[in-house]
Amino acid sequence: MTLADYLPIALMLILGVGFAAVMMLASWRLGPNRPTPEKLAPYECGIVPLQEPVERFPVKFYIVAMLFVIFDVELIFLFAWAVRFDQFGWAGIGAMAIFVALLIETLVYVWKRGALDWNVASRERYRRVVAPDAEVAPREAA
Amino acid sequence: MNVDYHALAPEIILGITVLAVLVVDLLRIPKYWTAVIGLVGLFAAFVPVLTLGFCESLDFCTEPETAQRVLFGGSFVVDTFSLVLKGLFLGATAVALLLSVGYIEEDRYWQGEFYFLMLCSALGAVVLASSRDLVTLFVALELVTGPTFLMAGWRKGDPRSNEAALKYFIIGVLSAAILLFGMSLVYGYTGELTFGGIRAATAALGDSALLTIGVILTLLGFAFKVSAVPFHFWTPDTYQGAPIPVTAYLSVVSKTAGFVGLLTLSYQAFAELRDVWGPLLWILAALSMTVGNLIAVRQDDIVRLLGYSSIAQGGFILVPFGAAVAGNVTGDQLEQAFFATVTYLLIYAVMNMGAFAVVIAGANRLKSTLIADWGGLSSYAPGLAGLLALFFASLAGIPPIAGWFAKLVMFSSVLGVDSGWATALAVIAVLNSVVAFYYYAKVIKSAWFDQVPDTIPAAELRGMGRAVAPSLQFALVLTAVGVLVLGIFPNLIADVGDVAKTVAAGF
Amino acid sequence: MTVTPGWYMALAAVLFVIGATGILVRRNALVMFMSIELMLNAVNLTFVAAGRQIGLIEGQLSVLFVMVVAAAEVTVGLAIIVAVFRRRSTASVDELAGMRG
Repeated sequence: MTLADYLPIALMLILGVGFAAVMMLASWRLGPNRPTPEKLAPYECGIVPLQEPVERFPVKFYIVAMLFVIFDVELIFLFAWAVRFDQFGWAGIGAMAIFVALLIETLVYVWKRGALDWNVASRERYRRVVAPDAEVAPREAA
Repeated sequence: MNVDYHALAPEIILGITVLAVLVVDLLRIPKYWTAVIGLVGLFAAFVPVLTLGFCESLDFCTEPETAQRVLFGGSFVVDTFSLVLKGLFLGATAVALLLSVGYIEEDRYWQGEFYFLMLCSALGAVVLASSRDLVTLFVALELVTGPTFLMAGWRKGDPRSNEAALKYFIIGVLSAAILLFGMSLVYGYTGELTFGGIRAATAALGDSALLTIGVILTLLGFAFKVSAVPFHFWTPDTYQGAPIPVTAYLSVVSKTAGFVGLLTLSYQAFAELRDVWGPLLWILAALSMTVGNLIAVRQDDIVRLLGYSSIAQGGFILVPFGAAVAGNVTGDQLEQAFFATVTYLLIYAVMNMGAFAVVIAGANRLKSTLIADWGGLSSYAPGLAGLLALFFASLAGIPPIAGWFAKLVMFSSVLGVDSGWATALAVIAVLNSVVAFYYYAKVIKSAWFDQVPDTIPAAELRGMGRAVAPSLQFALVLTAVGVLVLGIFPNLIADVGDVAKTVAAGF
Repeated sequence: MTVTPGWYMALAAVLFVIGATGILVRRNALVMFMSIELMLNAVNLTFVAAGRQIGLIEGQLSVLFVMVVAAAEVTVGLAIIVAVFRRRSTASVDELAGMRG
């Protein structure tokens, strides 16, 4: 591969960056900009915040994100199999069926444990099964 | 595609068990069934290991007993070596599971997934014993370590458990990255993934800087896993912070898995590159023994002491590898070294599991792991103190308890080699055995000859509430019988010498 | 100028070293974690480049396994870091030094 082969990619990059730059420049130059102190305040009414709020996402976001990552990446193996599935025959289909069945079992497990429930904290099942001791002080280290 | 399902049976049974544990965990039945099913699965997986091992004498098959069953184009090999180690992994996991039953359930963090994770990890170890290509080895190794990160941090609310998990995780993933980079360089140079292919390619292509770096990085990745000095710094913190049954599991199964990887890689894949890994492992062995033992002397917490002791024991296990440092080493001597490592691994597994079982039983009672608090244990718990003496004497290498035979074969493997460097390593090992004897004896002395400390009301201890849980008793008996039988009849282990022949053959 | 697989392997080595430096220098668990991911991706690049150079498919195949294992480890690692963070409100490794000796 010679450097010339990279030309389309370079052009694409220049076009992309250029388009974004032109748009931003245009809105900055052409748009009306008459600031007043009220307009610059974070909120038009209410108290000015003294500090940045601590960003604490509920853990359920992390759980869903983690589950997404894991299930998403596991599917790579399907691609490797799919490009040649006609050559693997029934043995290949059987192997993949087992693989997918394993994924489904995990999904069912995750589902039943309530990890996919968005409004999880309000459910009795959560308190009983997933976090029976969510707010209890930790036991003294042995 | 013809698959030899008999050869795969241990893995298949264990895999089904893992799934069953996951399903049972969802059902509305008492939670201890997960442990029961896990235990049954481990024993069930042991059956095919036996039928494969004694295939001919049991009339199951026509192949001779030493025959290798080669599957998946050489990536997965079932031979005597792998069967012995599969047996070790299954047995050690069963004991670790027995240790966990009482301990983890008492904790407020009890969840059914614990046994799922432990069995997943054991499945990885069982696959690892048969892996004979880089990718299978890597996936199996990560299956061993992945679940143990979570097990180490099991007590979510305990900062020490958190610290243990985080340190272990960062170091574990770092070692995986180093290992993989080494593997990718080896692959890049040889163009082969299977160990046989790598060996043939290195013989044909000769040495190169790229290959040497690849081999060194691969082995260093394993040095993290077996916590060889100077890659040990995570070990004491993780061992101390994790729940003690998990520590027992880490120090036996996870560590042995690392050594199995080292064994198969060095003696098979990198067989032609002895002048690279011989000196490297020589240095690691000498450092691990010396540093591990010297720091262990200063410890006052028994779990931390066992942590450093396991680093030092890891050094002893590495000693036979150092025999390869000699340029004139013969095939027989390498077989002997291989045999010595496997023997040490087997005996180490039994005695270390036993030592941790005693520590768990004691910690349940005393609610303390400080050695000083264990003073006078024999006055109110003579049985426990006796077992403590048994396992620690075995770790120290006192005949007739198993440990001495491990040390014996370890010394003879390096002394048999006619080389100054090998002899020097043997001398270092002897000096270290003396140091190790001192701190193991210190624990025994504390339990037998010291006064019961004032901080623990002796009267309360004598009337002593909770007896040792049945599962823990079973584990204690199993390991105690193990160290005694192996120590008095070392021929049982020596018969495993066939092991060495199948793998190290060809020198 | 042609870009040969050798260049990719050199790039991978550079990435690996950057990742390793990141682990040694940074003390935030998340950043250390990102550095490790960088190292793993350097490995992937090496595998692909090597496979390309030799003309074998195994290099690319290995990458699939590395990616899946890495994803599994990401999940485990994030779970641990979240657990630590909820307890300590910090992800600095230095502040997690309760045990010494």
